[in-house]
Amino acid sequence: MSKAFRFWGLAPAWALMILTLIVPILIVAGVSVAERGAYGGFDWAFDLTSYRQILFTEGWTDALEFDPKYLWIIARTMLYALTTTVICVALALPVSYFIAQQSARVKIILIYLVTLPFWVSMIVRVYAWLIILGNDGILERVYRLFGGADVSGFLFTSGAMITGMVYSYIPLMVLPVYASVEKIDPALIEASHDLYGSRWVTLRRVILPLTAPGLMAGSILVFVPCLGTVLEPMLLGGGKQLMMGTLIQTQFGGARNWPFGAAIAMVLLAFVVLVLLINARRMPRQSEIGL
Amino acid sequence: MKKLLLATTLILPMAPAASAEGTLNIYAWADSLSPDLIAKFSEETGIDVNVDSFSSNEDALTKLQAGASGYDLVTPSQHFVKIMADEGLLMDIDASELDAYAQLDERWKGQWWDPENDYSIPLAYGTAGYTVNRDKYDGPVDSWKAIFEPTDLAGSIALLSYPDEVVSAAQLYLGIEFCTEDKAEMKKVYDLLKAQKSSVAAYTSDNIENRIGSGEVAAHFWWDGNSLRLRNDDANIEFAMPKEGLVGWLDSFVVPAGAENVDNAKAFIDFMSTVENATVQYNYYAHSAPVAIDESKALYTTENAPELFPEVPVVFAQACSPAAQDLVTKVWTDLLQ
Repeated sequence: MSKAFRFWGLAPAWALMILTLIVPILIVAGVSVAERGAYGGFDWAFDLTSYRQILFTEGWTDALEFDPKYLWIIARTMLYALTTTVICVALALPVSYFIAQQSARVKIILIYLVTLPFWVSMIVRVYAWLIILGNDGILERVYRLFGGADVSGFLFTSGAMITGMVYSYIPLMVLPVYASVEKIDPALIEASHDLYGSRWVTLRRVILPLTAPGLMAGSILVFVPCLGTVLEPMLLGGGKQLMMGTLIQTQFGGARNWPFGAAIAMVLLAFVVLVLLINARRMPRQSEIGL
Repeated sequence: MKKLLLATTLILPMAPAASAEGTLNIYAWADSLSPDLIAKFSEETGIDVNVDSFSSNEDALTKLQAGASGYDLVTPSQHFVKIMADEGLLMDIDASELDAYAQLDERWKGQWWDPENDYSIPLAYGTAGYTVNRDKYDGPVDSWKAIFEPTDLAGSIALLSYPDEVVSAAQLYLGIEFCTEDKAEMKKVYDLLKAQKSSVAAYTSDNIENRIGSGEVAAHFWWDGNSLRLRNDDANIEFAMPKEGLVGWLDSFVVPAGAENVDNAKAFIDFMSTVENATVQYNYYAHSAPVAIDESKALYTTENAPELFPEVPVVFAQACSPAAQDLVTKVWTDLLQ
């Protein structure tokens, strides 16, 4: 392959990457150090006020004081994203295993069913949960049907929010995990049992290590979008606690502080890169053990 | 909603034939323009009308600031007209030269948000207050106290997702001036909202009809005409008349700077302001009309629509200085941190 072709052949891909990915990120980075306009918007400048604001704000007195409220928002977002990821792993593993056990025909149908929700708009799917969790909704009726007390208030809680997030992103976990599970040679599991490995030992020492690449890929696919989620906190969480996604939205909307919104977006991006870096460091080790 | 669907299906088949006469892209409050009128306008002029909707002034402002919104006509409230005009986001359309201007009630001419009547022609006005579901709550609604310092309504209140009108209402209740730059005063607003937060089910501006109509919440921060429309749909609700006053708003047609179909936009403004069409719009939107309407055909009167004729004070929201706006934002961010 000629050198020229290697360059020009890839040029369209590079142009696409640079124009649609790198340039927008640079613009966001630029806005984050710009000066805010009085009523939103910004003026190009170099001003680190926005980054300082993440840690220090003017309190109700005029003094600049350390204020961890934005750190709390970041920490809360991470916690919810992590919780969602863990629940997704716990649910996706048995589901994938079950699908992998089926005949080829059934497998195709089940995988199709897992991806089915993606054909419906995200907003519609989240609204569906409003009906399920709402007052006198499906969940409450079922609960009462089985003799439960008169309960209400599933909606507008962090539980409702996490439920919505798990529901929205779990297909992204099931698919890669299934891809890993399907490749496991049943003989390895048999061998484990032959060597007096209990079910628990087989799961921990054989199945989990073999599905690790799928779990890792799935965890990233779930964790990363959860960091920036906006719909679930607003619609199901009732907008009572800011998350990074809703905080950024507020800054570009009501707060009219675009540079600060951009700065928070850069922090979000930094976390995403961090997660990907940690993963990239783990990958070679997995290949060392023959995966 | 049915009406909306019907109107959309009416417009759709006409779209290809109409496109030769040009288009008009409107960005308006959700469900604020009568679909029948839009269909009629398309039919009469051959102009293809697209309507997108927003649910807060802030959304509209952000969209215009981001540039090249592609809209020819937007309907922000008075304080945002002022901000947009000051920021150079609006086109000077010599509004006072339009036919629509002649239809306008004198009280809306030469106001602080558009002193020379260059940019805007009002479309509707009304108030922001709160609505209670009478199946869920039978207490008094003569004060903001019922929702800001709730006793019976705890856990069953919903506010809007943006601070704009909510903070203004809290200021009315506390007797604090809008847009104050006094931190101590705004701290009182914060303390009030903070104490109220445990009683609030949700801060949300979408889908309000369902939430208050079905009794999902017992009280919802809302607008007069929307509440009236839902009550006429047989919902057992009541729009409160707090003695401290209601937050006033006036939405106007404005043309963003750089709009492409300015003539179509002006034609639409004039079209919406004729006596006949303004009456249809009034009957559809159920918010008060700032232009002359045919009283004999108006559906809503002082007898059947007390929502639209408040006897308590109405205080119009102001365009705050950046310092005052930062305090409003601080209250809101600290509240939801």
